[in-house]
Amino acid sequence: MSYRPGKAAIAAVTLAFSMTLIPAGPASAGLISTDRIIEREQAASDRERVSSFVARDDVRKEFQKHGVNPDEAAARVAALSDTEIGQIADRLDSLPAGQDAATAIIGAAVTIFIILLITDILCLTSVFNFTRCVNR
Amino acid sequence: MRWRHRLAAVVLGTSVLFGASGCIGPQTRQILSSRGELPAFAEIDSVPFFPQEQYFCGPASLAMALAWSGLPVMPDDVVGEVYTPGREGTFAPDIVSAARRNGRIAIETKELDELLRELAAGHPAIVFQNLRLSVFPQWHFAVAIGYDLNERQLILRSGTHRRLLMPLDAFENTWRRADYWALIVLPPDVAPATADTAGWLAAAAGLERASRPQEAQLAYDTFLSRWPGNRAAQMGRANALFALNRFDRAEQAYREIVAGDPSMADAWNNLAYALYRQGKRDEAVRAAMRAVAIAGDRNADYADTLKEVSRPAP
Repeated sequence: MSYRPGKAAIAAVTLAFSMTLIPAGPASAGLISTDRIIEREQAASDRERVSSFVARDDVRKEFQKHGVNPDEAAARVAALSDTEIGQIADRLDSLPAGQDAATAIIGAAVTIFIILLITDILCLTSVFNFTRCVNR
Repeated sequence: MRWRHRLAAVVLGTSVLFGASGCIGPQTRQILSSRGELPAFAEIDSVPFFPQEQYFCGPASLAMALAWSGLPVMPDDVVGEVYTPGREGTFAPDIVSAARRNGRIAIETKELDELLRELAAGHPAIVFQNLRLSVFPQWHFAVAIGYDLNERQLILRSGTHRRLLMPLDAFENTWRRADYWALIVLPPDVAPATADTAGWLAAAAGLERASRPQEAQLAYDTFLSRWPGNRAAQMGRANALFALNRFDRAEQAYREIVAGDPSMADAWNNLAYALYRQGKRDEAVRAAMRAVAIAGDRNADYADTLKEVSRPAP
């Protein structure tokens, strides 16, 4: 005895197919969701934090000491994507606290961070997978 | 009756210490050495007790937290939302989403200090523990309802124990092996005692995702009374009103945002939809054009919006 679908089954399948063709609420399709806004606000504040870090006097001096034009470094940071900026911001967060500009002396961790960033840019190391190395 | 709880705590504590290096956990040590403003004792008696049945510590713990928060919920009501039969247990992320689906703010914390501060503020927390060793785990959910720093104990509703007293460092060891997972579950109009803006906002946005716009709006209102002017929260509140089909109030909320920051293209974009849904097509088109003008070619979404709201009003 072969299986013969009943009317109800056919109706259900037809309904299921037709439902996939009905477009979802047309006028709110492009509403920008809160999740996306939170992401963007987060990205903006990360960018702000990283930019003000590379704009700090002590950090700029550190760049110069290593033969990197601080404006060039800032321009490179500005060109990074939100994800990349987020990674730097995370690294900044993991640095020991209390190294604001007022202290004037850069801690060892910050120096290492900058040196790695610079050597990455010069293609000597590859610590941050987001830096655009000058040879490439 | 009471000695049995003590005994259970001792047995549990001993079995835990067997696996640990025998020293006090770092978070416990920190708390005991400098507790700051934290009161020495806190206990939330109003958390109901639902003893767990076999494997059902997840549903029981969630139900206790939800019932404390004012919902008439029993463990059986949430089994379907959090219990995974194939694994005879509950996954922590499912507890988070179930709390949100029930219209509750759910905020994770990994800090013992924050956990205790929430308890001191009268907010219980669901905690995840591994009662045995990492190689031979016994996962367990319980509800932390208080602590006693003088006795160095955490007070829990756990398993079949209505009031389990567990040594704080033993708790930290079991908690560490479960990656320090704790969840604060609150009514949407209650402010957490510890959460940063990002954690609280994410919890409010979680209510939107869980299709609870009413509670989301309450959560954003509560958030904004604490952090007025936070743009993401203002947008969330407006989006929640939109989801409630309160397009007039959503319009007003979006207008307040662009009045404060006319360069906020997302707000212009969403304002366009709020206007369109009220049949105000011309105004909708003007708002959509503002978003397009701000973003230029960088964002195709705004151009799509302009196209959509240019069609005859619904």
